[in-house]
Amino acid sequence: MVFTSFNFLIFFPLVAIVYYLTPKKYRWLSLLIASYFFYINIKPVFALLTTGISLSTYIFTRLIDNTENETKKRNYMVVNIILILLPLFFFKYFNGINSGIFTLLESFNLRWPLPEIKLILPIGISYYTFMAIGYTIDVYNEEIEAEKNFGIVALFISFFPLILSGPIERANNMLAQFRESKLPNYKMVSSGLKLMLWGYFMKLVVADRVGIYVDAIFENYEFHNGTSLMIATLLYTFQVYADLGGYSLIAIGVSKILGLNVRENFRRPFFATSMSEFWRRWHMSLITWLTDYLYTPITFAVRKYKIWGIVIALMITFIISGIWHGATLSFVFWGVLQGVYLSVEALTKNNKLAFEKKYNLSRKYWYVFINIILTFILFSASELFGRGTDMSVALTIFYKIFTTSGDIFIGTSSTVIYMFVGLLLLFLKDFTDEYYPDKFLLFENKYKFIRILSYSTIIVIIFLIGVLDGGQFIYFQF
Amino acid sequence: MEKEKIIENLKTIFVKVLEHEEFELNDDLSAGDVSGWDSLSHMLIIGEVEDVFSIKFKFRELNKMKNLGDMITLIGKKINS
Repeated sequence: MVFTSFNFLIFFPLVAIVYYLTPKKYRWLSLLIASYFFYINIKPVFALLTTGISLSTYIFTRLIDNTENETKKRNYMVVNIILILLPLFFFKYFNGINSGIFTLLESFNLRWPLPEIKLILPIGISYYTFMAIGYTIDVYNEEIEAEKNFGIVALFISFFPLILSGPIERANNMLAQFRESKLPNYKMVSSGLKLMLWGYFMKLVVADRVGIYVDAIFENYEFHNGTSLMIATLLYTFQVYADLGGYSLIAIGVSKILGLNVRENFRRPFFATSMSEFWRRWHMSLITWLTDYLYTPITFAVRKYKIWGIVIALMITFIISGIWHGATLSFVFWGVLQGVYLSVEALTKNNKLAFEKKYNLSRKYWYVFINIILTFILFSASELFGRGTDMSVALTIFYKIFTTSGDIFIGTSSTVIYMFVGLLLLFLKDFTDEYYPDKFLLFENKYKFIRILSYSTIIVIIFLIGVLDGGQFIYFQF
Repeated sequence: MEKEKIIENLKTIFVKVLEHEEFELNDDLSAGDVSGWDSLSHMLIIGEVEDVFSIKFKFRELNKMKNLGDMITLIGKKINS
């Protein structure tokens, strides 16, 4: 049952009503039951994993809090992190390791074909594993006290709006909210509904329409020229934004309607003027998680190497982030690219700032525009390797972009037209939000008439050109 | 070492790492207030502070440092102990 399924449209209002009617003391319990119901409906055995991770995290965080002995605290933290990482490693890299060994055996003619066991990745495992690790480290660092109610910890790990693809939340934001279970006011519900509506628009109209076009090109990349491949590469970046960004908005909106404030995940990333700014606007919950629990500890450990310590930390962080996406060469290369982009920026940062200041460039439109385009191209180029294809396919496409050209692939003209309608609306919304936050308001317009007209138009567009066959979200696979 | 002396040294460190002087050091100052003070330069500043004052921070202490006032107090405590 995903957000775009018909079942969810029945499930969620029911959950909300039950939640509102439940006495305050037991509201967390109704959410916990709803969350397990949601997850069990995807695959019942997966719920064993969330229960196991919740139990282990609950026990070890309590142990950390109950001892004064620093070594013991540290050991408890390490043991819990290893325990909860085991399933992630097992499920994520099992198939990869298998096929690696099989290839090795085959190359020595030692392969003895028996029926293979293929494991499917428990959906959402990366997200709740990260949340549990973050909570454990927070307790160890004395940023938060260990929660005494097991049910609240279990709810934090399994909260249904976030379990499939984030945003990757933190205990210090969520636990208190779950404990208090405050009901939302009218404003929260209304803003939650608006976020959901725009999230559905981003997913069904933009992401899935762009997806049809992009897939048509990438899946037959041998037959397409460099121009079309380049367009597809640029469009794919929009697709990922609309896909995960749309999903995140729905998750945030759903939580809001339940009275819970969840962190944002994207802040108009395509208006970033550098890669470091881009990463402060793109998949923010993942990147701040990596910054707090990976990058900062690494920079602290290697701080005596000064700026080169920063470079080392950036490379390690992004290579791990790449491997997190998948254990393939192309994902590692994706991570290396990000690391290199950011390292170059780190090494030249002060010179760039001084240069911009000298010529007063940061206020010049053309300069900002060039930087935005450059950042977008750099990121899109890296996403060619972050799509999950083979390294050789990605390299072939990359090579073709620079060596061949020709007419742009159109396919069915309606696909292209619908795609551009969606993209244009998304762009206009982000553009006005970025540069004119108080003007051209539609969902937030002071006139009720305009507000209602805007909602209705978006709903009509979703039904007219949205892809309504229950497609999957890209980030479910990670 | 008195507070004034610590601030004076900190100023030199900030100028060295950030390569500009457009900031006024006071207790409430935090990373968001100073151009170029971000997650990249933060650990460079920390490293310099450790070298200049001959002290060592613990990772947990860094997490609890929310503004410059906290940093100055912590440095003061470390050099006097």
